[in-house]
Amino acid sequence: MLVRINQKLAVVLAVLAGVYLFLSFNLPKYQNAIIDADMVPKGLGVLLLFFAVLLYFDKKEETEAEKKKRTMTRGNVLILLAVLAFILIYIFLLEMVGFLIMTALFIFGCSLFLGYRKHVSNAIVSIVFSLVIYGLFNYLLKINLPAGIIPL
Amino acid sequence: MKKFLATAAAFTMLLAAGCSNQSSGETGKSGENGDWKPTQPIEITAPAGPGGGWDTTARMVSQVFEQEKMIEKRLPVVNKAGGGGAIGWAYIAGKKESEHHMFVASPPLVLVPLNGQSEYGYEDFTPLANVIADYGAFVVKADAKWNNLNDLFEDMKKDPTSVSVIGTSSPGSMDHMQFVKIAKAAGVDVTKIKYISDPDAGGLTAVLNGSVDVYTTGVAETIEQVKAGKIKVLGITSEERLEGEVLSDFQTAKEQGIDETFVNWRGFFGPPGMDPAAVKYYEEKFKELSDSPAWDEIRKKYGWGELYMDSKEYSEFLKKEAEDMEALLKELGLAR
Amino acid sequence: MDAFNGLMSGFQVAFSLQGILFVFIGVFVGTFIGMMPGLGPISAIAIMIPITYSMDPTVALVMMAGVYYGAIFGGSSSSILLNAPGVAGTVATAFDGYPMAQQGKAGKALAIAAIASFTGGTVSVILLMLFTPILSAVAVSFGPAEYFALMFLGLTAISSLSDGSTIKAFISATLGFMVVTIGIDSQTGTSRFTFGNPNLLEGIDFLVIALGLFALAEVSTLVLNRKDTTMNDNKDLGSLRISKEDFKEMSGPMTRQSFLGFLIGVLPGAGATIASFIAYITEKKLAKKPEEFGKGSIKGLAAPETANNAATGGAFVPLLSLGIPGSGTTAVLLGAFLVLGVQPGPLLIQDRPEVFWGIIASMYVGNIFLLILNLPLIPYIAKVLRIPRPLLISLVIIFSLIGVYAISFNTFDLYMLVVFGIIGFLMRMFSFPAAPFILAFILGGMMEQAFRQTLTISNGSLAIFLDKPIALTLIVVSLLTILVPLYTGRRKLKVNNEDHTGKTL
Repeated sequence: MLVRINQKLAVVLAVLAGVYLFLSFNLPKYQNAIIDADMVPKGLGVLLLFFAVLLYFDKKEETEAEKKKRTMTRGNVLILLAVLAFILIYIFLLEMVGFLIMTALFIFGCSLFLGYRKHVSNAIVSIVFSLVIYGLFNYLLKINLPAGIIPL
Repeated sequence: MKKFLATAAAFTMLLAAGCSNQSSGETGKSGENGDWKPTQPIEITAPAGPGGGWDTTARMVSQVFEQEKMIEKRLPVVNKAGGGGAIGWAYIAGKKESEHHMFVASPPLVLVPLNGQSEYGYEDFTPLANVIADYGAFVVKADAKWNNLNDLFEDMKKDPTSVSVIGTSSPGSMDHMQFVKIAKAAGVDVTKIKYISDPDAGGLTAVLNGSVDVYTTGVAETIEQVKAGKIKVLGITSEERLEGEVLSDFQTAKEQGIDETFVNWRGFFGPPGMDPAAVKYYEEKFKELSDSPAWDEIRKKYGWGELYMDSKEYSEFLKKEAEDMEALLKELGLAR
Repeated sequence: MDAFNGLMSGFQVAFSLQGILFVFIGVFVGTFIGMMPGLGPISAIAIMIPITYSMDPTVALVMMAGVYYGAIFGGSSSSILLNAPGVAGTVATAFDGYPMAQQGKAGKALAIAAIASFTGGTVSVILLMLFTPILSAVAVSFGPAEYFALMFLGLTAISSLSDGSTIKAFISATLGFMVVTIGIDSQTGTSRFTFGNPNLLEGIDFLVIALGLFALAEVSTLVLNRKDTTMNDNKDLGSLRISKEDFKEMSGPMTRQSFLGFLIGVLPGAGATIASFIAYITEKKLAKKPEEFGKGSIKGLAAPETANNAATGGAFVPLLSLGIPGSGTTAVLLGAFLVLGVQPGPLLIQDRPEVFWGIIASMYVGNIFLLILNLPLIPYIAKVLRIPRPLLISLVIIFSLIGVYAISFNTFDLYMLVVFGIIGFLMRMFSFPAAPFILAFILGGMMEQAFRQTLTISNGSLAIFLDKPIALTLIVVSLLTILVPLYTGRRKLKVNNEDHTGKTL
């Protein structure tokens, strides 16, 4: 049944459209509105469903370039996941630890992880960059980035 | 890379020179009256992004307090945008009993929770003082057939759907409610009012090109267009006539026999359970601010009206305001 | 001769020592802030307001205007170099600017953007000077019905924004439209698809989508190719050289889009973003080789850059002559006027001619400053790409994170940014184009709103669109742009398919 990749995608999209439509039909009503808030979402849900059906029956084969885009080595997948984890840790700790420390750590750590071996310039860039941005935002532009544990 | 950094550094220095002396005194000297004094910087939260009304008020208050040395600590402004204010309120609610936090608020603090969009409302916070007020104005095109509110409301009583009304904010929020409140007092069936919201501030355009009949907005925004003869103001929502060129010509709803007002108040609140001694301190400081020439100048610049209320008056005012609004929102089917 | 005298007094302001100095400071600060992550013209103006308090109003406003168009000017750098559009107006710039930079022609791309911006800016100033009083009538001619039609026309770009499957482009657009329905509905106050989360009430910010789908998705590609060092040895990276042929190619889009962009800018609410998209599509439709678009086409870069700057000039028409702010940015700018005791509006030109004409005259000077300020810097800015890949990746990630954090100061938005980064990555993996997604996100919200406003006014009758000549014309044009290529495209597709199967056999 699901030979082509597009057919698999079509099923995923159809499910998405179904969920969205379900939510649209459950939107609260506002009795005084002439055109209520659920009209456009309902239309969009149906539209997505329609396109999913079209995609399912689309005869067009995947080109080689397209196929190549979605093949990745296991190593690369792991590296992407690691970078993702770095970002999530950064966000999680940003307001607790503060902008300066987290940003410097992130730039240094992430660059190191991705294979940047000039430790001195890495350290200089990460620290100077964080300081300059922090100084610009907090003191010149008066837009306060989180100070965290350093009371600056 | 080095060159890039050097350029950036050069930028920074030039920018610093261009921006000149923005940061003001940070002396550690303590104040001379009251039982409580701040011991660390006081953080003022603007529950919206930079540039809007809340942000401007917060920054101006912070500036006057610092520059006039009324409060001898820094008062950094922090933006907590999102949820029409709800994110900022939740943030302050989490600072329970802190004496060094406050935020700026206006009618949305009453309306948003009633719309069911925030779990915190005005009663969760400690009112410190109200400082400024603005009033609503109802505007039509200069050649419209209505000349005052009664003309308009007569037509709306016959057929509410024949008149369209536009405002910036969504139904159940300020622009809508100020119109509904006055229309209701005039006897219009408010559930049938055709209200259109245009968050991109297209209301004035829509009235000028005749797409929509009535624009509900703040008084200050109407002055220039009235002077140019493009629009007319049917009525405003203040208790008495306002002072100033053009402004004094605007009839209030009250003098047209519609016994109702609407105040767009703006003031400051502390976190839940703030120490009464600290409340007293801030009350006095805000009074001092409100009476100062520096603040008067800023009020004039922005076209804000003066309305000082101390903590107690403020609480009572808010309670009445919330009751009125809840009744109206229930009637409209918007209370959630 | 009043206007002439007025203009002369304006030039006097603009060419006074003080005038020149503050125009310079304005455009300089504007370009600089525009380049910063997350800071567009709105923040730039808001930040500068307190500095103007004690200044002479005319000089201060000349400076603020400079900050505004300077920030638009500066915003294109991150689009071109990092695929990270900082403001909505520069999204279309990334479509061809980024591929061009990736081909090692970063300096050239930045130079084209600068020249296109300069042209758009200068032409719009001339139009502003000649036609402001007349055009103020145009500015208020658009009601909800006309805006709906304009957005609809913009959306017809979807099919031309993809080089692969048209179905996938439409699916992307539908998804983008769905995302913009999240949050409080402006017409009824109903919260839609927020799942009780207050962070979602105001909807998802444009920057979250743009930086997620473009910048973070690009980061994933950069990570996969992190060992690529071609940029390091590329000596032409910072070269500004634009050949005669290139100039010839640019001149068409620059002329047309200066006028079109200006006209769209005059309409309040439409502005730079829509102008840049419409510029991109019209040029693609007019081009002899539309297949080059999206792969580093000179026309594809020059068109949106001209249009967004021309639109910025256009936005001064309703602002100065009517006192109507056409966008969030001009609303903040209006605030700056008020603080200085200058009320823009129909009476400005009589009451304060020196302000009115001073601003316009200073924009000539400002645009020239921008050009001479930016061109020499380009070789240095372009060298950002020479930063070793691992470090560049980390910096782009941080740039995106700060950009989003600076809007709301809320980590929830940062998580959303990551979510859209992942969505963008998956879309790339399965060949769904990102441009239709963001186009539908930008236009969809305004389109839904305009549509429902119109129907509320008409008590639900669709006939209102037939009564409005401008709206009707725009809708007919939109339908034609959809239907004509569908018909001719189908025939072409058939031929292509036959070719294709022939080859694989």
